[in-house]
Amino acid sequence: MATSDAAGLILPFGTVQRGLRRSLRDYVSMVRWHLAGLRIWLMLLGSVQALSGVGFVLGISLFFRHIPTSAALFVSTGVPVINLVMVGLVFGPQLVASQRTAGSYEYLRTLPISRAVTAAAWYTVCLISGIPAVVVSLVVAQLRYDLPLHISLMIVPAILLTCLTGTMLGYALGHAVGNPMVTQLVSQMLVFIIFGFAPILYPIQQMPGWLGDLNWWFPFRHMAVVIRAALTSSADPAVPTAYAVIGVWAVVAAALAGWSLGRRP
Amino acid sequence: MTGLVTSAGLAEPLCPRDDLRSGFPYWLDSFRAMLRYDWGRLRQWVGMMVVIQTLMGAGMVLMYGFFYPSITPERALYIATGAPTLALIPLGLVMVPNGVMQDKLQGTFDYVWSLPTRRSAQMLSTFTLYTLMALPGAVLALLIAFWRYGVHLSLSPILLPAVLLCAVMSVTVGYALALAIRNPLVTNVIVNALIFVVLLFSPIVYPASQLPGWLFDVHRVLPFESMAQVMRAGLTTGLATDVGLSFLVLGAWTLAGCAAAAWVVGRRH
Repeated sequence: MATSDAAGLILPFGTVQRGLRRSLRDYVSMVRWHLAGLRIWLMLLGSVQALSGVGFVLGISLFFRHIPTSAALFVSTGVPVINLVMVGLVFGPQLVASQRTAGSYEYLRTLPISRAVTAAAWYTVCLISGIPAVVVSLVVAQLRYDLPLHISLMIVPAILLTCLTGTMLGYALGHAVGNPMVTQLVSQMLVFIIFGFAPILYPIQQMPGWLGDLNWWFPFRHMAVVIRAALTSSADPAVPTAYAVIGVWAVVAAALAGWSLGRRP
Repeated sequence: MTGLVTSAGLAEPLCPRDDLRSGFPYWLDSFRAMLRYDWGRLRQWVGMMVVIQTLMGAGMVLMYGFFYPSITPERALYIATGAPTLALIPLGLVMVPNGVMQDKLQGTFDYVWSLPTRRSAQMLSTFTLYTLMALPGAVLALLIAFWRYGVHLSLSPILLPAVLLCAVMSVTVGYALALAIRNPLVTNVIVNALIFVVLLFSPIVYPASQLPGWLFDVHRVLPFESMAQVMRAGLTTGLATDVGLSFLVLGAWTLAGCAAAAWVVGRRH
C-alpha cells in the first residue's frame, strides 16, 4: 500500500481547473500582483499624471494674452486622452524593459496563467492609474476656464477603448521589441509625438494638411475625436470612423503582442 | 636597494618622481589629458546627441506653432528666437545629469577622481566638451525655425557671448545638480519636473508680459527667461532691450553652478 501512496504524491492533485471561474481567479490574482508590485510606483505615477494634466491645462493659458475658449476647450478635452494612454503606452513598455533586465519577465511567463488574462489584468491597472488623473484634469479645467462641457454616456466606451488601444500598443511594443534600449527610445519618441505632433491638444486645422492626413492612419487623432465628442455637445460626424480605426489598432496591437508572447524564445 | 621591486620585474624605482608636479603648466597638462580622455569616451555618442538635441529643439519649435490658431509675425519671432534656448536646455539639464548619473553608477566617476590630475581640470574639461557639443544643435534648431517661420533675423555681435554664456550656464547648473544630489532617482525626478516646468511655464516662446505677476517675479530669478532674453537680443533688434540684468542673472547662475560643483568636487568622500 505504501507504493500507491507514493504514486499518489507524484500525481497532480485534483483536476485541472478550466473555464471562466479559473480565468476570473487568475485575473484577480494578476491584478493584485500588479497592484502590489507597483504600489509605490502607481501612487507616484498617478500623482505625476494628475500634475502634468493640471500643468497642461493651466500652462496653456500662458501662451496667449487672452486664451480663446476654443483653445482652452481643446486642451482640456485632449489632456484626458494623454492621461489614459500614458501609463499603458509609455510606462508599460519601460516596465517590461526593466523586467527583462531584472529577470522577472521570464518568471512571469512561467506562471500558469493565460496571456489574455495577464493582458486584461494589466489593462485594468492602466485604467486604475489613468482615470483619477482624467477626473482631476477635467475638474481643474472646468474651474479655471468655465468650459461648456457636456458629458454624455458615450464617455464610458470612449475611455475604455482609448485606454485599451494605448495599453495594447504599449504591450505590443514592450513584448515584440526585444531590445530594452530600443523600447525606451521608441516610447520616449511616442511621448513627444503625442504631445506635439498628433492633433490631440489642438484642432487639426492648425497643423499642416499632410501631417493631419498622416495622423488619420494612427490612433491618437481618433482617440481625441471620441473623447472630445463624449465630453462636449458637438456632434462630430467622424466619430464612427474614429471608433473603427481605434478598434482596428487595438486588435492589431493585441494580435502582435499575443504573437510575440506565444512564440518560444 | 630601497625602492626597487625586483620581484615584480620592475626596474623603475617606486619612489615618486623627484619633483612634485604642480603649478599652472601641470594644470594645463591635466586639462589637456582630461580633454582627450573625455573626448574618447564621448566620441561615440556625439553624433547621436547632436541629432537628438536638434530634433528636440526643432521639434519643440514646430510643436509650439501648432498650438496657436494663427501665427502672427510677433508669435513667429518669439518662437523662432526661442529655438536655440529650447535646444540648449535639454542638453544642460537632461543629458549632462544623465551622463554624470551613468558615470556614477558605472564607477567611472570614482575612477576619474582617483586620477592624478587636478579635479578642477577634470571638471572644466567636461564643461568645455559639453558646451562645444551644445552649439551645433542650437544653431541647427535656429536654422530650422528660421526656415519654418520665415522670420527676419538681424544678428548682432552680442549673440556670441549670449550663446556661450547660455551653454556654459546650462551645463554647469546641470553638472552641479547631478553632483550635489547623491541619489540618481531624485536627480531623475528633478530633471523631468524641471523640463516640464521650463517647457510650459517659462517665457521662452512667448513674451513674459503674458505671465501672472508672481510667476513673472519668479522668472526674474530663474535663468530660463534670461537665456531667452539674451538670445533674442543677439538675434533681433528691438525685441529685447536692457539685457544687462539678464547677463548678470546668467552669470550668477553659472558662478553658483561652478561653486556648488567645486564644493562637491573639493570634498573628500
